[in-house]
This record gives sequence, C-alpha cells and structure tokens, in this order.
Amino acid sequence: MSLNSTELLDQFILESRECLERVGQRLLDVEKAPQDADLLNDLFRQVHTLKGNCGLFEFKALELVVHAGEDVLDRIRNGRLSYNASIADALLEAMDYTASLIDVIEADGALPEGTQDRARLLAAALRDHLGEPVAAPAAGRTEALTPVAPLPAPDWSNALPAEWRQPGRVLVRYVPEATCFFKGEDPWHLARTAPGLLHLDVRPNTPWPEGDQFDCYACNLDLRLVSEAPLAEVEAHFRYVPEQVDHWHVPEQPAPAQPTTPATAPVATHAPAPHTDLLNARLQQVWDDQCRLLARTGISAGTVAAVRQTLTNLLVCRDDHALASQAHTALQGLAPGPVPLAQWAQQYHPDGHGQAHPPGSPPPAMAQPPRRSATHPTPEDGGTERGQKVLKVSQDKIDRLMELIGEMVVAKNALPYLATRAESLFGQRELAREIKTQYSVINRIAEDMQHAIMQVRMLPVGIIFQRFGRLVRDLSKKLGKDVSLVIEGEDTEADKNVIESLADPLIHILRNSLDHGLETPEVRLAAGKPAQGTLRVAARQEGDRVMLTISDDGTGIDTDRVRLKAVERGLIPADRASSLTDPEAVQLVFLPGFSTSDAISDLSGRGVGMDVVRNAVERINGQVELESVRGQGTTVRLTLPLSMAVTNVMMIEAGERRFGVPMDLIVETVRVPAEDVHHFKRAQTTVLRGRIVPLRALSDLLGLESAPRLNEDGELAVLVVRLGSENVGLLVDNFHGTSDIILKPLEGVLTGITGFAGTALMGDGSVLMILNPKELV
Amino acid sequence: MGIRYLKKSATLQGRVNAEDAEILLEWLKSRPGSAVNVTRCQQMHAAVLQVLLALRPRITGQPADPWLQAVLATPQPN
Repeated sequence: MSLNSTELLDQFILESRECLERVGQRLLDVEKAPQDADLLNDLFRQVHTLKGNCGLFEFKALELVVHAGEDVLDRIRNGRLSYNASIADALLEAMDYTASLIDVIEADGALPEGTQDRARLLAAALRDHLGEPVAAPAAGRTEALTPVAPLPAPDWSNALPAEWRQPGRVLVRYVPEATCFFKGEDPWHLARTAPGLLHLDVRPNTPWPEGDQFDCYACNLDLRLVSEAPLAEVEAHFRYVPEQVDHWHVPEQPAPAQPTTPATAPVATHAPAPHTDLLNARLQQVWDDQCRLLARTGISAGTVAAVRQTLTNLLVCRDDHALASQAHTALQGLAPGPVPLAQWAQQYHPDGHGQAHPPGSPPPAMAQPPRRSATHPTPEDGGTERGQKVLKVSQDKIDRLMELIGEMVVAKNALPYLATRAESLFGQRELAREIKTQYSVINRIAEDMQHAIMQVRMLPVGIIFQRFGRLVRDLSKKLGKDVSLVIEGEDTEADKNVIESLADPLIHILRNSLDHGLETPEVRLAAGKPAQGTLRVAARQEGDRVMLTISDDGTGIDTDRVRLKAVERGLIPADRASSLTDPEAVQLVFLPGFSTSDAISDLSGRGVGMDVVRNAVERINGQVELESVRGQGTTVRLTLPLSMAVTNVMMIEAGERRFGVPMDLIVETVRVPAEDVHHFKRAQTTVLRGRIVPLRALSDLLGLESAPRLNEDGELAVLVVRLGSENVGLLVDNFHGTSDIILKPLEGVLTGITGFAGTALMGDGSVLMILNPKELV
Repeated sequence: MGIRYLKKSATLQGRVNAEDAEILLEWLKSRPGSAVNVTRCQQMHAAVLQVLLALRPRITGQPADPWLQAVLATPQPN
C-alpha cells in the first residue's frame, strides 16, 4: 500500500472509532426514548457515515454488518419497525463486532480470512428483524460494485408489475404532500427527471373526489417509479422531499403519508443476461467519472487513493477476467500520483473491449488534462472549503509539546542562578537585576504555556462514563436486576492520563455494585425499596482534585461475612477481625486476595477486587474511600489529582544531599527539640499535638552515613508524611523550598528501585531524586 | 405558451404551468365530453396532469415526452 492509503486508513480508523462510540451512546439513548426522532436520526447518520467510510476500503465483512445495521435503523426511522430490546441487542452486538474488526484492521491493515462468515451471521441476525427471510449468504462478488441491500420488498411495490422489480433497480414511491403545489414543487417533473428512470406510474393517492369536491391544487398523486440508477443517486434526486415529509406529521394522513421510500430489490449474485448490458453501461459510466475526476487540476492525494480503490473494485466486474487480472497487476506496479493512474485508466478502459453496448457518448479525451495537473497538486484544494474549528491531533504530538514546555520551564529556572552568579561572581548588580526582570517575563509566559497545554490535555470525565451505560445495561440484564444509572458532573475535566487510568478501576467498582451490591427486584421489594436500583456516578472538582463518587442503594457490605472471609483466607487473625468496628471491617475488602464470593463468576470473585482498584488509583496519586451501610448501600469515593504532569515537591536535605518529597504526602514540617524525642529500644517517637508519631531517620533509610543534624537551637527537622492512614515523621537535616517539577520515572536498570518515585531536572542543571516514602519507610 | 381553448377541444402547447390547471378544470367541467390535445405539450405541471387524470377527458394526439404519453394512456385503477 502506498503511503497515502495508509494515511487514509489511519484517518478511517480514527473516524470509525469516533462514530462507533457515538453509535453506542445513541443506541442506549434511543432505548430510553424510542420516540425521539432526533436521536434516531442522529443514530442513523452516524451509522450511515460509518458505512460510507467502510465503502472506501475493501473491508467487506465490515460493510456487510454496518449495512445491515443501517437498513434496520432506516426502517426504525421511517416508523416501519419499532425499536425493541432484541433489536438493540442485535445492533449492540453488531457494533461490538465492528469495533473488534476495526481493531484488527488497525493492527494488520487488513481483515483476516473468515471474518466474512461471522459478519454474514451478524448481518443475517440484524436482517431477521426486518421481518423477511434473509437473502442467501452468497452475495459475495457483486457487493463491491453495488452495495444494495437485499431488503424485502415493501407492500406498495406489490402493486407494481413484477417485471419492474428486477435485481439492481430502485423502486420509489413518492407521495407528495397535498399542499406541495403552493411551495412551487412539481412532483411530476421531479419524478420524471429522476436518474435512470425506467418506469413511471401515476395514480391517485385517494380516489378522485366527485364534481366540485375536486381541488386541482390539492395534490392527490401517488407516483411510483423504477430506476436503474444507484440508490444514492436516487436519494440525492429526491433529497428535498424527505424534509418536506418531516414537517408533515399531520395525523389525519397516516398511511399514505409515507415519505419517499427508496427500497431496493435484491441483487442477484450473478447478473442475469439482460443485465450484463446494464452493468456494463454503468461500469463505463463510473469508469468515466473516475477519469474525469483524475483529470481535475490539483486533486488531493486522498482523492487519488479513492479513485484507485474504485477502479480496483470495478475491475472485479469486468467480463474479461484475463484482462482484468492483467490490469490489476499493472495497477499494483503503478507509481503514485494522478497521472500514471489516469493513463492506466485510459489503457484499460472498458470501452472498446468487446462490450455489448458502448456508452452513448464516448468518453472525453482524457490525456491532456491530467498532464496539466501533473506535478503540483495544490494543497489548498479541498482543505480551505470549510474552516475547520476542531483539530484532531495525535496524543504523541501533544505529549511532545508538553515535554518541550516542561523543558522550557526547567530551562527558565536557570536564569535566577545566572543572576546570582552575575552579581556575586562578576559584581554586575545592574545586569543581575535585568536578568531577573527578564526571568519574571519568561516565567509568566512559561506558566501560561504550561497552563494552556494542560487545558489541551484536559478531557471531560464523561468520556469514560459513556461506557458505563452499556456496561450497566448488559450486566443488569444478565443478572436479572433492574438498575438505573444516574450520571452527574460528566463535564468535570481532568488530565487525559488520569481519565484513562481511571476507566478500569471504575468499571471494577461498578461491577462490584451490580454483582454484590444491588439486589434483584423481588429482594428489593421485600426490603421495602423500589424495585429499580439506582447506581449513581458523580464527578466534581474540589480545588486541584477531582472527586468521583460511585454509590448504590443496594444491600451494602455484609461486615460479618467480610470478617469471616478475611479470617478464612488467612488475611487477618481471627481475634483482630472480631475487634474491628463495622466501618473498619468494610476496609478489609481492600486487602489483596480478598473475595466474598465462593463461586467464581465471570463478573467478580477472582480475588482481584478492590486492592486492584486501590493500587490503580494510588498509582496516579489518588485515594480511595469506601463507606457502606448495611441494607442501605455502598459508596466508593475516589479522589484524584487534576493533572499528573507537574508534581509539586518539597526539597529536603539529608546527608549533604538534596531530595524531593511529593507535596501531597506531606502533612507538616516541624522542628522538634532533641530532648522531646523518645527512644524506646531502637525506635524513636515524639508527641505532636497529643499524638504519638513514630520517627525514622531518612539517612538511615537511605543507608547514608551521617546522622540527622541538629540546628543551632538543638532541634531536629521532622517532615511528617502521611502513609495510608497513619503519619510518620522523617528526620532530615534541613528543609528547602518547594518546586514544580516534571517527574521522570526511573528507567532501565533503575526501574527496580522502588524507594524513589523518579527524578527531576532542576534549574541549575542538577538532578533531584524524588523519594517515594511509601516504599521507603 | 399555455392552453388554447376551442369549442370542443383544448390544446396544450409548450409548457403548461400550474396556473392553467384551474382554468382547464373549470373548462372541462363546463364542457363534459370535450377532448384535450396534448401533441404539442412539452411539459406539464403536476397540477394539470392531476386534472387530466381526475376528469379523464378524451385525449387526442401524443405528447413528445414518452413518460407523459405512458401516464395519459394507462387506464386508472380508480
């Protein structure tokens, strides 16, 4: 594949993912409000876009499924099919499959053999809902050319003569609204100018009224036509009419008020003899269209790729197989760009290769125009037509930008050092002051830049919430529970990394709630609760933290059972378990290996439960809290930093070296007189505000030689840090200021050293080691 | 161009617009059994067509447009 088509493919994957995400969301929305026409239309549009994108490539399996989905949705949209749970299931399943196909395409660039069979099954399952027998799953070869679905014929088409309903044609019923004449419409003219018109039938929509009742300006026509043009062309021809129908929801005219309903007759697997002519004519027409497209000046690379793909697809339909394969080989070896392709298209033009009916007009001379467009495709072409408001940028580029800004922040920190040097070393006071002024300007800009890039990386948490609707729906169905999901504060923003690392823990928590927390409707009613359980996910911002609350109104955690299980699994001794208060016992679920379930279901019970959640959240500097009231429900609270990119650290000194400690762990810094430190065996403690705080010397922990230094007043510097639920005092030599740093995790052979969270480059060029007190103490 | 009305027949010529439909309707109603000549009619508005289909006057001649010809020729399943 050429470079252009890989780019195109990337774009396709990106857009398809987006489409699928929206489709998934809309499917759930529509299930809640099946009457909402706007939602349905949006859903249909998304699927339609997706199908259009698929058509650009040769992913037949993908197209099959999406197309079936589109047909079902079209029916629903036109009110000919009512949306129900089983359709939703089929659509969701098809959507999942589509997503998995996209993943495969992204990984391999192509679909493996055998996907089509699965796709056909899914498509057949979807088409089952159309209420008609499914077309034989042999429709393979012609699909690329005519992506027309084997929809069952609508009722009205039965009135049309059978010979009209031939494969590949489009039947149209057009019932103009009664007042259409006053809008300057001429339905007759519109119908008879339809593309590829083969038959046209006009009949009264309702029997002609007698005598004076007849109003010649109230349109009472029912036009039925057959066209050989592609469905899309017919649709485009009647594009103004569906709008008119939309405005026309008068209940008095129910049945005949059907909008333009282009329905399609089934496509024959192998075109029968009378249609070969037709096919050939269409083939030449499309071929010519492609040639004309190539002949335009300055066409974009994407267009060339699309043309190339179309021509390749057309080759499949050529009668002369030997020639087709020869042309195919020639195409493979073709240089990129419009000119060779145009020449190739000329050389292998279907015209003049023994076709039964050459087209009415010979194709215009193609040779000269492409030459004009030869080398310089103007980049503006196609780009400036619409002013783009939203840029899609890959995360790599943003990360790179952020890295650069981070370096900028560090680099600017060198200026104060320089100012000091200028003053102390060279005695240039004036210069030092000027450097400082410049520094403050650069500092301000750098901070703005940092802020701006943070904003770019900010995403609303709603992005991960979107998946929950589906999860809750599927799981509650599976478990026979009735659960409504309430989402609040989905606009709250946080850094992309934070959001992404949150997804898995959150899903875990939701699963737990659904599996263990919420009861079945019968149990709930017996307990005097409404049959429908509520699962609430709320997000809000508090200072520089994001708070996420996941609460359910289920049974709550059975603390007795939790105690029992914890002892059973040997996680805590039995005497300690019984002495725990209920809120403390609840926390036992965070112990690694804890599980209350005896049987392992596919939902939970594998013992990788809340401890995984806690680890995941703590990895991004967050905290988890769990509260539960028996019979009333469980609440999980996650507190997370807004952003992980910049860490605020405090610099401390121990053994003549400087270290950084993350600010969010520091409770306080105190100076404790040496005589207030109590020694008990080897342990040291002190009392701070009536509470005993264990003390550890940092230099001991790090294996440094020197003991903690006292200051002039005989005091020890104590840095009190919070480790889990308890405070620990670290004895250090001295405190220094705080600094914003970009934390770089340890790499290579250093990865195993858990005592350090990472390193940071300081303004004077030195490297600061950031401690990880949790591991250290 | 429009419609030329004679004693026993009306002749549709060139483009026949929507405005002509009402006059044609009244004319046909007042003269049952008259003929309408469509030979020189190139294009007919749907409203006019509707009048012809509803009142079913005797049609003489054949319009150049095959689609129009076909529609006017088919007996209505009314």
